[in-house]
Amino acid sequence: MADDTYLVDGYLPTIGIECHVQLRTATKLFGVMSNDARGAEPNTLVDQVCFGLPGALPVLNEEAVRRAAQAAFALNTTPQPFSKFDRKHYFYPDLPKGYQISQFEEPIILGGSIDIVQEDGTTKTVNITRAHLEEDAGKSTHPAGGDYSLVDLNRAGTPLLEIVSEPEMHSAHEAKAFAHELWLRMKFADVSDVDLYQGNMRFDVNVSVSKNPEELGTRSETKNLNSFKSVEKAVNYEIARQIQLLEQGEAIVQETRGWVDDKQKTVSQRSKEDAHDYRYFPDPDIPPIVLSEEYIADVASSVPDMPDVWRGRLGALGVERATIETLLEARVDVDEQILDCIVAAGSDARVKTYANWIVNIEVPLRKERAQQSKAIDVTPERRTSVYDGVALLIEADKLSSNNAKSLIVELLSTDTLPADFEAHAQSKGYIQMSDSSAIESIVQEVLDANPQAVTDVQNGEQKAIGFLVGQVMKVSKGTANPALAKEIITKLIA
Amino acid sequence: MSKLTREDVLKLARLSSLTLSDDEVEQYRTELASILDYVDQLKAVDVDGLKPTYQVSGLTNSMREDTVQPAKADAEKLLERLPSRDDRYIRVGRMI
Repeated sequence: MADDTYLVDGYLPTIGIECHVQLRTATKLFGVMSNDARGAEPNTLVDQVCFGLPGALPVLNEEAVRRAAQAAFALNTTPQPFSKFDRKHYFYPDLPKGYQISQFEEPIILGGSIDIVQEDGTTKTVNITRAHLEEDAGKSTHPAGGDYSLVDLNRAGTPLLEIVSEPEMHSAHEAKAFAHELWLRMKFADVSDVDLYQGNMRFDVNVSVSKNPEELGTRSETKNLNSFKSVEKAVNYEIARQIQLLEQGEAIVQETRGWVDDKQKTVSQRSKEDAHDYRYFPDPDIPPIVLSEEYIADVASSVPDMPDVWRGRLGALGVERATIETLLEARVDVDEQILDCIVAAGSDARVKTYANWIVNIEVPLRKERAQQSKAIDVTPERRTSVYDGVALLIEADKLSSNNAKSLIVELLSTDTLPADFEAHAQSKGYIQMSDSSAIESIVQEVLDANPQAVTDVQNGEQKAIGFLVGQVMKVSKGTANPALAKEIITKLIA
Repeated sequence: MSKLTREDVLKLARLSSLTLSDDEVEQYRTELASILDYVDQLKAVDVDGLKPTYQVSGLTNSMREDTVQPAKADAEKLLERLPSRDDRYIRVGRMI
């Protein structure tokens, strides 16, 4: 897109994003406590390392390094052969050591890029500056009316990868698309569980506006956004707020802001004037990470196809763009192997049918069951058996699409699959009646019971035929072939 | 002798969460200045072409398996020793 299409009241907005991704590990970055703080009582997943006691020795988690290396490939680059840890100093009660162990000078990822899909379907490349490993801080709460705060260190030490983009986005839509694409990639590459509700990915957006496209304006940083929607809203809010200030002749203050969802606005949190006073120095407790060529090659071969590869593959099979995006999301939040059956479907018609079944039947079913804490597990083998079996019945004209849906829902949720799908469907009354004489007797019954509708049809009212077909479907409990029923109704009335 | 202003010392104190008396500010102003002088002496050494020494142990990849282990200092003992707590929470001065 040309720069001028981005202009808002003559100002060019520029956005950079930092994202903290929680790595999928069992334990913390430097300690042996469990990483899974969901529902845990406060301060139960803590030891001397999380408390930052003098003499406690942090030891690096090899799995966190592996996940970060996988992330490099998800960002279209390779991990650095050499990286190391530094101490970042600041005082805050949720950081008991007085410093955070992070990577400042030599991060595990330098460079990289991801392509984002724009509103018009074209792609745009957004470059990645760097990504580094660091430990999370604890969580603090501030009881209303009290003169104290409460700290829970369960989350302290959780391994994070902080991914920093170049300031190359120019609209709220691009910022949202970047956050969404990062979410897809971090899950596809198995870097993180990417559960936004649990805070597995948290976005900080740096926004500035400028009348001169060659020069960046003063930026604000809105921190800790945990949904794509809030990224979009916070960026739009900041663009409007900054332009209004500048139009009033006021200056933008470089500061940290927070998004308040109740009020749908950002509010100032603290001034960033001391930003560079973290007094970083190399952490003497953690020896550097050296990744061999063999290790990097091994990680490379373990990282599966990224979303853009799937877009190309599914697009070539004739799946529509909007459907593809829904399928990619299903790969993230329903089932990692859900897409495989589409590629193996065998015919163009089946590709579309299977994509449609996943989007309209399996995904809603499994999300609903998961919400009711009755999650169902569907193996790729079962999915293929069910989809192929039901497709065969449809292709033989033995199943209506409504009954196909009922059958799929039932078969995906039962423990054992029936040996003979057709016999099973028959016993459930799903098999479509295509026997003319059987349908004819039902049609006759319906015509006798609805003389007014018959008169209406004779007077040329086409709607009445639809009503009669509906009655036939009702009497046959949905098993009559509707096209055949219509044909017979027309024949008998004429 | 390096120049260090009163404001420099107060800023450092703020970043380190320390409250200093006027006498202490003056004391640290001189002491820190002599440390800076020492650093200036080190800076005079020509280190062109040398890689920075981040660590002296010579170790690399000192890592552990990602398996949950029992704590050396367990949560209950750590909580018992807190100067101030509220049930299982660490209680601190109001932050915001």
